[in-house]
Amino acid sequence: MSELILEAVDLEYCYPDGTSALRKVNLEVRKGEKLAILGSNGAGKSTLFMHFNGIYTPSAGAIKFQGQPISYKKKALIELRKKVGIVFQDPDSQLFSASVFQDISFGPLNLGLSEEEVMERVRKAMLDTETTDLEEKPTHLLSYGQKKRVSIAGVLAMEPEIIIFDEPTAGMDPRHSLEFMQLLDKLSSEGKTIVLSTHDVDLAYSWSDRLAIMYRGEILAHGYPGDLLTRPEIVKRADLTIPWLIETHSELVKKGWLPPSTPLPKTKEDLFRNIPFKKEQQSA
Amino acid sequence: MIAIDSYAYNNKLTTIHPLEKSLFAILTMSICLMSKTMITPLLVLALMSGGIILKAGIPGRILTKLLAIPLSFLLISVLTIAFSFAADPSGFWFAHTFNSITIGIRYPDLITAINLFLRSLGAVSCLYFLALTTPLTELITLLHKMKVPVIITELMVLIYRFIFVFLDTATTIRRAQLCRSGYVSTKSSFRSMSRLFSALLGKVFVKSQDLYNAMAARCYTGEIKVLTKKHPVNVKNYFLIAGVEISLVLLNLLWR
Repeated sequence: MSELILEAVDLEYCYPDGTSALRKVNLEVRKGEKLAILGSNGAGKSTLFMHFNGIYTPSAGAIKFQGQPISYKKKALIELRKKVGIVFQDPDSQLFSASVFQDISFGPLNLGLSEEEVMERVRKAMLDTETTDLEEKPTHLLSYGQKKRVSIAGVLAMEPEIIIFDEPTAGMDPRHSLEFMQLLDKLSSEGKTIVLSTHDVDLAYSWSDRLAIMYRGEILAHGYPGDLLTRPEIVKRADLTIPWLIETHSELVKKGWLPPSTPLPKTKEDLFRNIPFKKEQQSA
Repeated sequence: MIAIDSYAYNNKLTTIHPLEKSLFAILTMSICLMSKTMITPLLVLALMSGGIILKAGIPGRILTKLLAIPLSFLLISVLTIAFSFAADPSGFWFAHTFNSITIGIRYPDLITAINLFLRSLGAVSCLYFLALTTPLTELITLLHKMKVPVIITELMVLIYRFIFVFLDTATTIRRAQLCRSGYVSTKSSFRSMSRLFSALLGKVFVKSQDLYNAMAARCYTGEIKVLTKKHPVNVKNYFLIAGVEISLVLLNLLWR
């Protein structure tokens, strides 16, 4: 198992008005993995993420980065934020400039890089998120999905080790959300650690290496997606549903189309490959 | 305002260096305001309209509409300068006497009024040229390079961005209110309007906190540093500007 990079230990957080948003949250993020946090609305996913780079200070418990509890001193926080990037859910609260180019260049400039290097990184981030043709447009004339891609580019350009995406595909059309998932795979193959929150069970199941299910500020379960999402009691308690791949698979097994030993399909293609041809079955 | 803003990003002069466009507009405006003849402002108006319509490719009816906005203010102020009241009916070029009071126009006043009218219109056309061809983001960068205090330029960046965010929010809220008959009577209009404003005020606080968090997540330390795209400097344009401005100044001096 790869090394632990980010960790939440007995994390608790209360909002100033007294509502408790996180209760004894324990979560491990390992280097290079693809971790999905599944949870219904208001489960505390965003609040948890705000702790990962020190925006929120926990009421109790701690966040550990590479085994050390993080320090909330200004300098240490900046060092942490260079390594842990967050793409926020609402692009309107992340984009501060009306110029796409200016907004993307903000993060890398704060890292103290040279202008040429920043320029290079901005170009690369714009290519990766397909925002190059938006460069001349002001952010207020962009669509929601376009703004979202610009806000992703703004964090990618900082090249953090861990990238946290809060509901990244919400509001994106199917083509761009597919391309976004491909971008995530590419980033992952480059060795980045990726944490993503979503309430799309199908996406979380197919994409992630490991999964955590949150419900009302608690982690209900964490482990491998195939183990967790096949347990109806957990899925139901978290106000989620079982992924269609698993449902279809178990229905096929139940009705005898597939032998019970067939492995769980991870993708649509796996499932289709598992289903035998009818002719073969008749001849068998 | 929204129309001006979208044309600023979509016109044929966007690739021109913002400094060249600003110099052209500001210098021409100053010369226009200093002119004592009527011919300079007329020329400036023609020059700017030509620039806006032919060079920048902005439809003429948009410019006409925009020029009509200051026209009403101008007419009112110009009329008060042109007309005078007096007890003595002598010296008027055109007058009417009621009882013992004469209302009329004195010839020099008329000239002043027309001059003022044309000068203002000419100056406004210069500002429209700048506003219609140069995005505000580039003007802010220009101000920053001209060593305008950072606090002002940063505020401009944020205010400009959030005008649109809040305009969007307000439009959405108003639309939702309209769908539920929020503005059917005067009473309900006032109530809906007040709720819209209070909702917007709440959003301002939430959004500003969100923005701060998001900027902090990208290592914000109190100064907004950004890169801007570089525009090619065109020496030919500087000669063109110099040529136009010098001839306008000469016109000002010689045409008496």
